[in-house]
Amino acid sequence: MISLYVVLLPVLIALLVLLGRSSAALVRGLAFLGGVGTFALSLFLAGSEGFQGAWLPRMGVNFSLDATGAGPVLVLVAALVMIPTLLVAATRVEQNAAGFVALLLLAQAGLNGIFLSKDLIVFYVFWEATLIPGLLLLGMFGGDKRRQAALKYLVYAVAGSMLMLVSILSLKALSGAASFHITELMIATPSLSAGVQTWLFVGMAIGMVVKLPLWPLHSWLIDLNEQNHPSGAADVLGSLYKVGAFGFFAWALPLLPAGAERVAPYLLALAAVTAVYGALAAISQQHLKRFLAYGSLSHMGIIGVGLFGLHLAGLSGAIYFLAAQMLSTGGLFLVAGMLYHRRRSFMLKDYGGLAKSAPAFAGVSLFLIFAYIGVPGLSNFPGEFMALLGAFQTSPWPAAFATLAVIAAGVYGVNLYQRLFQGPTTVPTSDLSALELYVLVPFIAGVLWLGISPAPQLRQIEQQAALVTIQLERAVDAADEVPTVTLAGLTGGEK
Amino acid sequence: MNDLVQLASLAPLLALAGAVINGLFGRNLKGNAPGIIASLAVAAGFVLSLIAFFGVRAGGAVRVNFGDFLVAGDFKIGLGFHFDQLSVLMMLIITGVGLLIHIYSIGYMHGDDGISRYFAQLNLFVAAMLVLVMADSFPLMFVGWEGVGVCSFLLIGFWYRDLANASAGRKAFIVNRVGDFGFLLAMFLTYKAFGTLDIQAVNAAAPSLAYGAAILTGIGLLYLLAAAGKSAQLPLHTWLPDAMAGPTPVSALIHAATMVTAGVYLIARTGGIFANAPGAAATVVWVAVLTALMAAIVAIGQTDIKKILAWSTISQVGFMVAAVGAGAYWAGIFHVLTHAFFKALLFLGAGSVIHALGGEQDVRKMGGLGRKMRVTGTTSLIATLAIAGVPFLSGYFSKDAILGALLTSMPLGNYGGQILFVLLMLTAGITAFYMFRWYYLVFAGEPRSKAEFERAHESPAVMTVPLSILAVGSVVIGYVGLPAFLAPNAIQEWLAPVMAHVDFEHLSTSAEWLLLIGSVVVAAAGLGLGYWVYALGSGALAKRLGNTPLASASRGAFGFDRLYRSLFTEPGEGLAEGVASLDRDVVDRGMTGLTGVVPLLGRLIVLLQSGYVRAYAFAMVLGVLALAVAAALIGVFA
Amino acid sequence: MVQTEYYVALSAVLFALGGIGVLTRRSAIMLFLSIELMLNAANLAIVAYARQWSAAGAQHALDGQAAVFIVLAIAAAEVAVGLGILVAIFRNRVSTDVDELSEVRA
Repeated sequence: MISLYVVLLPVLIALLVLLGRSSAALVRGLAFLGGVGTFALSLFLAGSEGFQGAWLPRMGVNFSLDATGAGPVLVLVAALVMIPTLLVAATRVEQNAAGFVALLLLAQAGLNGIFLSKDLIVFYVFWEATLIPGLLLLGMFGGDKRRQAALKYLVYAVAGSMLMLVSILSLKALSGAASFHITELMIATPSLSAGVQTWLFVGMAIGMVVKLPLWPLHSWLIDLNEQNHPSGAADVLGSLYKVGAFGFFAWALPLLPAGAERVAPYLLALAAVTAVYGALAAISQQHLKRFLAYGSLSHMGIIGVGLFGLHLAGLSGAIYFLAAQMLSTGGLFLVAGMLYHRRRSFMLKDYGGLAKSAPAFAGVSLFLIFAYIGVPGLSNFPGEFMALLGAFQTSPWPAAFATLAVIAAGVYGVNLYQRLFQGPTTVPTSDLSALELYVLVPFIAGVLWLGISPAPQLRQIEQQAALVTIQLERAVDAADEVPTVTLAGLTGGEK
Repeated sequence: MNDLVQLASLAPLLALAGAVINGLFGRNLKGNAPGIIASLAVAAGFVLSLIAFFGVRAGGAVRVNFGDFLVAGDFKIGLGFHFDQLSVLMMLIITGVGLLIHIYSIGYMHGDDGISRYFAQLNLFVAAMLVLVMADSFPLMFVGWEGVGVCSFLLIGFWYRDLANASAGRKAFIVNRVGDFGFLLAMFLTYKAFGTLDIQAVNAAAPSLAYGAAILTGIGLLYLLAAAGKSAQLPLHTWLPDAMAGPTPVSALIHAATMVTAGVYLIARTGGIFANAPGAAATVVWVAVLTALMAAIVAIGQTDIKKILAWSTISQVGFMVAAVGAGAYWAGIFHVLTHAFFKALLFLGAGSVIHALGGEQDVRKMGGLGRKMRVTGTTSLIATLAIAGVPFLSGYFSKDAILGALLTSMPLGNYGGQILFVLLMLTAGITAFYMFRWYYLVFAGEPRSKAEFERAHESPAVMTVPLSILAVGSVVIGYVGLPAFLAPNAIQEWLAPVMAHVDFEHLSTSAEWLLLIGSVVVAAAGLGLGYWVYALGSGALAKRLGNTPLASASRGAFGFDRLYRSLFTEPGEGLAEGVASLDRDVVDRGMTGLTGVVPLLGRLIVLLQSGYVRAYAFAMVLGVLALAVAAALIGVFA
Repeated sequence: MVQTEYYVALSAVLFALGGIGVLTRRSAIMLFLSIELMLNAANLAIVAYARQWSAAGAQHALDGQAAVFIVLAIAAAEVAVGLGILVAIFRNRVSTDVDELSEVRA
C-alpha cells in the first residue's frame, strides 16, 4: 500500500497548500512536510506490498502499483531531491509560491506513478499527466520567452506520446494479452513477429526518445531549462522528469525484445552521439543553465548507451545513473539559482573569483561539479561506469566513442568551476546562508550515499534489469524457430 | 597477524578524517593546528603501514573485503583491499615521505590564510593515493586514481586568485582525464577478455590467453595511455611542468614522490598482462626511454628552479616506467623508492630556497646560497649526487638495476633492447649534467643577485629536519637493492612473490662489473662536463652552447605545448563552438521548423471553419454519405 | 394495408427535399422550414415502422409513437427558441440571409 501512498500524499499536500495559500508560513510548513513525508514513506517503499485496484476492468486496465525493481530506488532519490527543492520553491518564489509548490508536489506524485505503475495504461496516464505541472511551471513562472519554450516542450512531448499511445494500444490488441499488466503483456508479446515488434518498438521509442532525450530531439530541454524560474527549483523537476530511459527499461525493452534487438543499434549510435555532442556543446556555453542542460544531455546520452547496449550491467548502470544524476544535476541547478539570487545573472562572464568571499559556497559547488562529471567515489560514477562497461561488452566501438565524453566532461567541469569561483575576485559575494546550506546538505549526503554504497540499490535495479535480459534471450530463442512459424502462418493464410 | 594487517585498512580513512576535520572546521582552527592534525593522521597511517608491512612479511598477502561495490548479475566488483609486498611498500612510501612533507608544510605554509584548506586537500590526497595502491580491483583503484587527480587539480590551483595557477590545475586535470579515458577503456576491455576486474584474478588469468594475443596487447596499450597520463610520459607529459604552480611541498609529494609514480605502480600491478604482451611491454619501454631522454634534454634549458626539477621528474619516471616495461618490476619500484627520497628532498630544498628568497624562482638570480643555507645546501648536494648516480648513493643502485634490465630483458630483445639501453645510458649522463647545473647555479659559485643573496636565510627547523631525514634516506635506502651478484638484493626478494615472471639473460659477473663501472663513468662524465661548463668556464662556453638549435629546442620544451595548442586545444575549442552553434542554428532551428508544421496544420483545418452555415450542412451530408458508404462496404447491411 | 416501403419511400423523398432546401436556400426562415421538413420525414419513417411493428404484435409497439411525440415537442421548442433568435437577428441587421451571418468563423 505504501506505493499508493507515495502517489497520493503529494497530491493531498498539494491540495492543502492551495487551500492555505494565503499564509506564507503555512505554505512553507506544508512544503517541508510534503517533502519529508514522501521521503519517509519512500524509505519503507522497497519490498512493501503493492496495490491493485480495478479501473477499467473490461478493457484490461487495472490500477496496479508495485514496489519491486528499480522503481523504489528512483522514487527514493527523487523524494530526497524534492525536500530541498520544495524548500527553495517555498522561500525563493516571490509571487504565488503556493502554486509553485503545489505544482511541484503534483509532478512528484506523477513521477512516483510513472516509476511504480505496473499497468501500461496507468503508466501512460502518469507519463502524460506529469507533463502538465511541468508545463504550467514553465508557463506561469518562466522567463521572457517562456511561451516559445512551453510550446516547443508541448509539441515535442505530445507528438511523441501520440505514437507511443498507438503502440501501447496495439500491443495488447495484437498480442491478445489478457490485460495491460506487465506480467500478462510479457507473456504474450514475445509471440509477436519480429517485424510487428519492430514497428511497435519504433512507435514507443519515439515517445521515449523525446523524454530521454536523445539528439536531435533534445532542444526542448535546453529551452526549458533556460526559461524556467530562476530559483532553479523547476529545473530540478526537469532533471527528475527525464523519464524516457525508465520507459525503455521498464516497458519497451522487456515487452518488445525482438524489436529492441533490431532497433537498439541505431539508438545506441544516437545515444553515443548525444553523449559526446552534449559534452562538447556544454564547453562553450555562456549561460549557466544552458550549460547544465547540455551537460545533462551528455549524461542522458551515456544512459542511452547503457540501455541500448542491452547488457545486464549496462542496463542496471543506466538506471542507477538516472537516479544519481537527479542529485548532481538538481543540486547544481539550485546552486545556479543561488548565484542568480546574488547577482541577477546566469551569464558566466558576470562571475569569477567567488571562492575568496564565499569559500563554503565554492566548496559545495565544486563537490557537486565533481559529482556531475563522474568523479569516482561520488554518485554519478557507478552508473556511468557500468553503463559504458556494459555497452562495451556488446558494442565496443559506440561505447568507446561515448567514453570520449569523459574527457569533455573534465573540460567543462573544471571550466565551470574556474569561471565561477577562481581567478581575481570580481565583486565580493555573501557565502551560503543557513537556509542555503540546509538546502544543499541533502544533495551532498545523497551524492556520497550513492557514490560509496551503490550495491544495495543496484541489487534492486538488477531484479528488473534481469527481466529485460531474460526477454531478450527468449527473443533470440524464438528467432531460431521463426522460419517454421512464418511458414505455417503463410499456408494458413492461403486457405 | 592477519587481523593486524587488516587494521591498515583504516589508514585511508584516518587521512580522510583529517581532511574532513580540516575541511569542515578549519576556519575555527588556530595557528599550526591544521598542520598538526593532518600530520597526525598521516603519522597514524604510517604506523598502520608499518604494521601491515611486518604482517605481510610474516604471513604473506592479506585480502580484506568490505562487501560489494558494483553488482549486476555476473558482473561483481568487491570493495576490498589487497595487502601484499608491493602495496605495503607503496603505502610506506606514501605515508613515510608524506609525513615528512606534511611536517615540512607546517613551516612552509605558515601564515597562509588557506592553510586548513591546504592540509585538508593534502590529507585527501594521501587517502586517495592509499586507496589507489591498496585496491584489489581496477574500479576501486580508479577511485583512487581519479581521487589523486582531483587533489592534484585542487592543489596546483591552490592559489586560485592568480588565473595562471588555476589554469595550470585545469590543464593537469584535463590531460589526466585523457589518461583516465585510457584507464576506462582498458577496464572495459579487461572485463571483455577475462570476465572480471579483480586485479589478482586478471593477473592469474592473463597467461591462459595466447602469449602476445592481440587483446592483451590492446589492454596493455590502454593501460599505458592511463599510465602516461598520470606519470607524465609522452605524449601526455605537458601538464607536469605547469603543475609547479602549486605550493612546493605539493610538488614534492604529489608531483615527484607519489602520484606521478602511480603509472609505474599500475604497470607493475598488471604485470601479468604486460609479461604476456611483449608488444605492449616494448611500447612501454620505448615511450619511457624517449620521454626520459627528451625530458632530460629539456631540463638543461630551464631557468626556473622548480621546472628543472619537474622535467627531471618526468625523465626519472621515464626510467621507472622503462624498468617495469622491460619486466624488471622490482627495479622500477626500487627506483620509485629511491626517487621518492631524493626528489622529494630536491623539491623541499628548492622550496626552502624559494621560502628564503621570498618567492624568487629564477636560478639565474641565485648562486652561492649554500654558504648562507648550510642544511639546505648540504642536503641538496646529497640529493643531487644521488640522482646523478654517484656510487654508493641510492640513485646509483636503482638506476644501474634499470639499465641492466634493459640490456638483459629477453622479451625486449626483439624490439631494440640494446638501442634502448644506449639511449637510457646517455640520459643518465645528461641527468648528471643538468643536476650539476641546477646545484651549481643555486648553491655554489658567486651570488648573481646581491639583493636576493642578502635576503637569504636558513629555514626553520620544522623544515630542515625533514630535509635531513630525507637526506639520510637518500644515502642509505639504496642498500636494500644491491646488485644481486654482490650481495642479497632485499627488495628484489621482497617483491618476488608478487611479480609476474619475465625471462632475463644472465650476465656474467664481469659483465655486471662492466655495467657498474660504465654507469659510474657516465655519471662522472656528466658531472665533469657540468663542472667544466659552469664552474670552470667564465660563462662564455655556456652562452655559446645556448645558441645551438638543440638548446633552443630544450628551452622551448620541444614545442609540445605549442603543438598541442594548435593540434588539440584550438581545434577542440573550435569543435565545441561549432557543436554549440550547430545546435543553436541548425538542430534547434530545424526542429523548431518541423514543429512549426503543427500550427500550419491547424491553420489548414481552420479553413474549414468558414462561418457559412450551409457549408457546414453540406459537410454533414457528405459525412453521413461517407459513413453510409463505409458501412455498406464493410457489410453492416448484409 | 399500405406497405411500409411506400411510407419509407415518401419519407426519403421528403427528407431529400428538406436536405436540398437546407443546402440551397439562403433565407433563415426557409432553412427552418426545410429542417422541419426533414424532421417530419424522419417522424414519418418512425411511425411507419411502428405501425408495422405493432401489426406484427411486438412487445414495445408504442415505442415509435412515443419517440415521435418527443421529436415533435423538441421541434416545437426549437422553433420557439430559433424564431426568437431570428427575430433578434432581423432587428439588428434587417436581413435573414445566413450567408451574411458568417462572422463566427475562425
